[in-house]
Amino acid sequence: MDSGIAMAGAAGQSGAAVAAADRSPAAWAPVSERVALYLRALGIEDPLHRERLLARIQQRWEARVSVVPLEDPVEAGIEEAYALLDAWLCAELDITGELDALFTARAAVLSGAVPNWSARFSGVSGESIAAQVRAAGVQPEPEPAPLDMAPSTINLCCHDLGRRITGALRVLAGNEPAAAAPRTEQPR
Amino acid sequence: MTSDSRIGVMGHHYRRILFFLLVLLTTLGAMSLLSVAFQDGGTRPHELVMLGLYAILTLWISASFWTATIGFAMLVTGRDHYAIANADTRGAGAAPSGPFKTALVMPVYNEDPVRVFAGLRAMWQSLVETGQQDGFEVFVVSDTRDPDIWVEEELLWRRWAKEMGHPARVFYRNRVENTSRKSGNIADFCRRWGGRYRYMIVLDADSIMAGETLVEMVARMERNPKVALIQVPPVPVNRSSLFSRMLQFAGSLYGRMFTAGLSYWQLGTSNFWGHNAIIRVKPFADHCGLPKLPGREPFGGEILSHDFVEAALLRRAGWRVWLAYDLGGSYEEIPPTLIDYAKRDRRWCQGNLQHSRLVFARGFKPLSRIHFAMGVMSYMASPLWLIFLVVTGVAAYFQSLVEPVYFFGNNILPVWPETYTVEMTTVLWVTLTMLFLPKILALVLLAAKPALSRQFGGLVRATLSVLTESLFSVLLAPVLMLFQSKFVLAILLRQNVGWPAQQRGDHQTGFAEAFGTHLSHTLIAVVVGFLSYQYVPSFFWWFTPVLAGLALSIPVSMITSRVWLGQLARRAGIFLTPEETAQPRVLHLLEQNLERAGTPLCTTATGGDLWYRAVVDPCAYALHASMLPDETPNRRRRHYLEGLIFQLQDEGLGSLKPNEKRALVSHRDGLFELHTLLWAAAQPPSPGQIAGAAASSGAIHQ
Repeated sequence: MDSGIAMAGAAGQSGAAVAAADRSPAAWAPVSERVALYLRALGIEDPLHRERLLARIQQRWEARVSVVPLEDPVEAGIEEAYALLDAWLCAELDITGELDALFTARAAVLSGAVPNWSARFSGVSGESIAAQVRAAGVQPEPEPAPLDMAPSTINLCCHDLGRRITGALRVLAGNEPAAAAPRTEQPR
Repeated sequence: MTSDSRIGVMGHHYRRILFFLLVLLTTLGAMSLLSVAFQDGGTRPHELVMLGLYAILTLWISASFWTATIGFAMLVTGRDHYAIANADTRGAGAAPSGPFKTALVMPVYNEDPVRVFAGLRAMWQSLVETGQQDGFEVFVVSDTRDPDIWVEEELLWRRWAKEMGHPARVFYRNRVENTSRKSGNIADFCRRWGGRYRYMIVLDADSIMAGETLVEMVARMERNPKVALIQVPPVPVNRSSLFSRMLQFAGSLYGRMFTAGLSYWQLGTSNFWGHNAIIRVKPFADHCGLPKLPGREPFGGEILSHDFVEAALLRRAGWRVWLAYDLGGSYEEIPPTLIDYAKRDRRWCQGNLQHSRLVFARGFKPLSRIHFAMGVMSYMASPLWLIFLVVTGVAAYFQSLVEPVYFFGNNILPVWPETYTVEMTTVLWVTLTMLFLPKILALVLLAAKPALSRQFGGLVRATLSVLTESLFSVLLAPVLMLFQSKFVLAILLRQNVGWPAQQRGDHQTGFAEAFGTHLSHTLIAVVVGFLSYQYVPSFFWWFTPVLAGLALSIPVSMITSRVWLGQLARRAGIFLTPEETAQPRVLHLLEQNLERAGTPLCTTATGGDLWYRAVVDPCAYALHASMLPDETPNRRRRHYLEGLIFQLQDEGLGSLKPNEKRALVSHRDGLFELHTLLWAAAQPPSPGQIAGAAASSGAIHQ
C-alpha cells in the first residue's frame, strides 16, 4: 500500500503460520518487537513496565501456541496483550462478566485519565487503583428511564376519496364493487 | 401559588375575531377594487383566474401585514395582558411537584462537531453563571452517519464529560438506525430516557440559548402546568456575509414585530418551530408519536416537518402551546448565501407541502389547521405569484391587440373607453403598502424607543439599512420565487428532494456556482424581457423590478455572499443588530470556545481520517468500542463485515464507502478484529503513519 502499511493477510505478516508447539525464542522475537510497540501505543512508556508485561504476554502466547497452530503469530500476540489488559481490569475492578463496565474501564485507562496505571498493570505497584479507574470512567448514557411513545392516530380527511367515489358509482351503476386488494399500509 | 389564570379567557376570542376580521376586510377591499376593473365588458375567464389568485395572495399578505402591525402596536405600548410571561395557572390544575430535571437535547446529523460542542459548552457555561445548572443535563442525540464525524463527536463528548466530572451531566448516544430522521431521534430519546426528565429543551445544531433564558423557560412551564410547549423565537446571529447580515437585521428588527403579532392572535395555540423550545416530556411522549401518512412520498410516508404536527397533536390533546416573544437569549445561525438559503428551502418545502394533507384531518384545532395552511402557503405563494404574473402578462398582451372603438352606430360624438387606471393603481399601492409598511413601522418603533434604536446603530443608520435591505429584497424576491416554484413543481411531480445536512458557516459563492445556479433565471429574464418589450411595452415597464432581480441574479448572488462586504457594512453601521452592537455573553462564550477548540481527547487522533484512527489508535479505539452496543452481529452481518475487511485488504481504504466504513466500526467484535489485524500488519501503524494511511486510497497489499 502507498502508506507502507501492509496488512497481515490470511498467512500473517511472517508469511507462514506458526506450527503448534513452536515456542522457540526465534518464533517469539518478531512478535515481541511488535507487541512492545503496541504496548507503547497503549501508553505504557516505562521500559520496565513493558518488559514485565512482555514476559507475561509471552507466557500467554506460548500457552496458546502449544494448543493450536497460529495463523498469524503477531496478531495472536496483540490479542494476548489485549486479553491481559482485560483480565487485569476485571480483576482490579472485580467486574468479571460485566462487558460494559470493562469497556468503560478500558477507555478510562487508555485515555490517560488514570495516572500510573501501567505500574499497577505490570505488577510494579501493589497499590490498587480501582477507585481511580472507576472515577475516570464516564458512562455515555444514563440509566434507562423509558416512556411509552406510541404513534398517534391522524385521520386524514378525504383519503382514498377517489377510490370510494368510484366504488359508490359502481354500486349505483349496478356493478359489484371489485374485491379490494389487501392493504399493506399501516393502519391509521 | 395563584389562581390568576389568564389562559383560556374570553379576551382570547376577541383578539382572534379582531385579527381575522381585519385580514378578511382587507382582502375583500382589495378584491373589490380589482373586480371593479375587471367588470368592464363582463368578466373573462383569465380575469376570474387572476381574481382568485389575487384573493389567495392578498389573504396571505394581509395576514402578515396585520400580524406585523399588531405586533408593532404591542411593542410600542408594551401592553400584553395575556402573555405567557405574566401567566400563572398553578391553581387551575394539579401541578407536578418534587425535584425534576430538564434535558438540553441536541439532535445532530453530520454537523460540525466542534461547533456543536462549542455551542453546548457555551450554553452550559452560561447556565453555570446563573448558579442553577443542577437541574439541567445535556444530551447529544446523534444520528450522524459519517464515520469520521461520528468518532469526532465521541472524542469531543468524552473530553467534555471528563472535564465536567461527577455526577455525569453530559450524555451522548449515536443511533444505530436513523429511522424517521429528527422526529425519530427525539422519539427514541423520549422512549429510552424520557422518564428521567420533566422537561426537554430541544435545540438545533446551530442553536444557542442563554442560561437565564433556559432557567426562565423552566420557570414559566412550572408556573403553567397545562402548558406543554413554549417556543422562544430564535434571532439569527453570527454570520458575516452581506446576505446573512441583511437577514439577521431583518430577522432581528422586523422579526420582533412579527413574533409579538403572532403571539397576539395565536396565544395558547401557537406553533412549534422545531428548536429553541421547552417541551413537557410526558405529554409529548403520550401524544406526539408520529404515524406514517398513507401513500407514497413525497406526500405520504414519514412526516418530514414534524414540529407543526407535534404542536397540533399537543393542542388536540388539550395542552397549550405558547410563543414567548418577549424572551431574549435565543439564537440560531442562518445560511450564509442565497444559494444555501435556497437549498434549505428545498428541504423545508417538501415537509411543509406534506402538511396540505393535514389541514382537514379530523380532530385538530382550527388554529392548528391555519398553521398547516400557512406552512403550505409559505411555499405555494411563490408559484401562485408566478402564475399571477404570467396570466397578467398574457392578459396585457391580448388587451394590447384590442383596437379601441370610439364611434358606435350613427353617433357623431366619440365614446371614450372607460379606464380603470385609478382602481388598478390603488390595487398596486394597497399591495405595496402591505408589503413595505411593516418596514416603515419598524423604523417608527425605533424612533419611539431610542435605547432600541441605538442597538440598531441609530435611527439614521437603521433607516439606511432598511432602505438597502428593501432594495435587495426586491432583487432577491423574484429569484426566490423561481427557486420555490421549481421545488414545488418537483414535489408535485413526486420527486423526492431528500434531507441533506445543511451548509452552515460562512463561505462565498464563486462564479461557477452562481453561473450554474442562476443561468436559467438570467435567461428567463432576457427572453421574457425581450418578448414583453417587443409585444407589450406598457407591461414591460411594470415588470422591470421582477426582470431586474432575475437578470442580475448571478452578480447579486455572488456579491451578497461576500464576507468582506458584510464586514464593511458592519463597520459603516449598516445592518447592525443588537447582538452585534453588544455581544451577548453566551455568544461571546461560543466564540471563545471555538477559538479554544483544540484537540479532541486522544492525542494521536487529531485531524485526518478519524474513522481510521478509531480503528488503529488504542485510545480512540477503546473509547469508540466502549460506546457501541453490546450485541453480537448475526451470521449474515458477520459475513458482510468479513467481506469488507477483505475489500480493505485488497483494495485499500479508498475503496470503502462511508456507510461501509461505518459498518466496520459499528460492532465491537468486528472493530477488535480490524484493530488487531492492522497492528499485525507488516508495517505497524504509528501516529504519523496513521495520517498517511488515512490519506491513502491505494490498496493494502499483503
